[in-house]
Amino acid sequence: MDPVTLFSIIKGGIVLGALYALMATGLSLVWTTLGIFNFAHGAFIALGAYVAWQFSATDAFGWPLALGIIATSLVMFAIGAFLHLTLVKPFERRSDVVLITVITTLAGSAILENLLLVIWGPRSKQIPKMAEGELAIGGFHLAFSEIILLVLVLAILVGVGAFLRYSRPGRAMRAVSQNREAAQLLGLNVPMYFALVLGLSAVTAGLAGVFIGTIRFMNPAMGSEPLMKALIVVIFGGVARFSSPIYAAFIIGLLEAFSIYFVGLYWAPAVLFFTMIVVLLIKPEGLFGKYQRTL
Amino acid sequence: MSDPILSVRGLSSGYDPIKIFRNISLTVAKGESIGIFGPNGHGKTTFLKTLSGLIDPWSGEIVFDGQRLNRPGERGSRKWRNFNYDAVTRRRMDPKQVARAGLIHVQQGNLLFPELTVAETLSISTTAARGRKGWSLTEVQSLFPRLAERNDHKIRFLSGGERQMVSVAAGLMSAPRLLILDEPTLGLSPKIRAELCAAILTVKETGLPIILIDQDVAFLGQIIDTLYLFDHGRISGRMSREEMPDHDGLMAILFGDQH
Repeated sequence: MDPVTLFSIIKGGIVLGALYALMATGLSLVWTTLGIFNFAHGAFIALGAYVAWQFSATDAFGWPLALGIIATSLVMFAIGAFLHLTLVKPFERRSDVVLITVITTLAGSAILENLLLVIWGPRSKQIPKMAEGELAIGGFHLAFSEIILLVLVLAILVGVGAFLRYSRPGRAMRAVSQNREAAQLLGLNVPMYFALVLGLSAVTAGLAGVFIGTIRFMNPAMGSEPLMKALIVVIFGGVARFSSPIYAAFIIGLLEAFSIYFVGLYWAPAVLFFTMIVVLLIKPEGLFGKYQRTL
Repeated sequence: MSDPILSVRGLSSGYDPIKIFRNISLTVAKGESIGIFGPNGHGKTTFLKTLSGLIDPWSGEIVFDGQRLNRPGERGSRKWRNFNYDAVTRRRMDPKQVARAGLIHVQQGNLLFPELTVAETLSISTTAARGRKGWSLTEVQSLFPRLAERNDHKIRFLSGGERQMVSVAAGLMSAPRLLILDEPTLGLSPKIRAELCAAILTVKETGLPIILIDQDVAFLGQIIDTLYLFDHGRISGRMSREEMPDHDGLMAILFGDQH
């Protein structure tokens, strides 16, 4: 393999990994805190892309993309918190909450996807690129938009990590996820933190959707495939720490990029699922995981 | 007698469908500390969890300093034909409000937040204080000098005694007006136990009333004014500190002479 091909595979893998990291972080945030699996996460991804398109596309509002991204984050936060109140909270106190929320979040996902179809129609759309042009050294090409994407994703992940670690609401969120009863006895508003977590998770999913929308064509079902990958990432890496799905995301991204090159586009998911099954057999708590869920 | 700080009337609760304790009534006067003594598995901890709202009361009422803590009425139906968003999502009693009112519960064998450090845990422990003045960080650190040394350690690396100290410290920083301690010395080494008992005595001497569950009658005698005996989910006896017999005497009252 020549170095230029190798470079472009690794580059593709890292970009994929960054997107998966963003999606998996939101997914594991909800899993570790609320103890439920949010099947509407994929719909959040698509929703984020469409909302950003509405704000920033030249044939819609036409705002600058940076402004569109900020506005999208706010909208996604509100929608995430709202869906928590409608899809999760009514069942929170039942012992079978995990199973029930599988159904309710799946329903929410279907409703959101069809809402996208009704509002924006089935025609593929694309969000304007974050930047034109590319960096070319010899045969190596690196688009400016890819650099911006990597920097932004890194900044968002570091920001979320710092928020959880250093801010008071972030610490309270971790406390709530680690011991709900003890958090209540300290007077923490547990339902509010749950809504906050779902809001935050929706923001990260939505932003992942925006980035996907700038590099690929978008359609209302665009979230389901990334959701599957995010699921693989979460299982692969485990959720012991905030950072474990992030490492796993880059490993999966690179693995996918290399499998696409070596075994082809259609067999790449098979390789990923096979890897996931092997991990489940050998280390079911995930590569970086422990037998507990904490934040 | 002045108004009681805590008044419990006809309280019953349990883990659906099993009722653990029934029809419990007791009053704690302002400034009074009470103890609860009884065999394991007879509903002491469940009773305290109901007081702090972790378990919904099934019937009865809990009034803390003139404020009713549980919503009136019998336990609601969970049937879908009666679906009501408010009834399903709102607890009949909200532990957050209980804590914010100043009734602070330090749980038995509290694992707290395993991945948070001592400093992080204490930094969020002032949430319930809400303008009331609780213990400051320096005050709890001088009460438990070990905690200052362990400041940056994660809770999961602490010993049982140190965890219990963090638990009590977090409770004190929540600005309690009545502090519930559920077997704070359970399973601790004699040295740590003595340290913790001394600290709890110091707390008591600041004038803070305490509800204490403990198996050590001598320790109970140092802290409390009134003792309630718990047996099969009922209060089977009430005595003042002066009337309290020793451990064997209490066991004889609970189980008869042949225990």
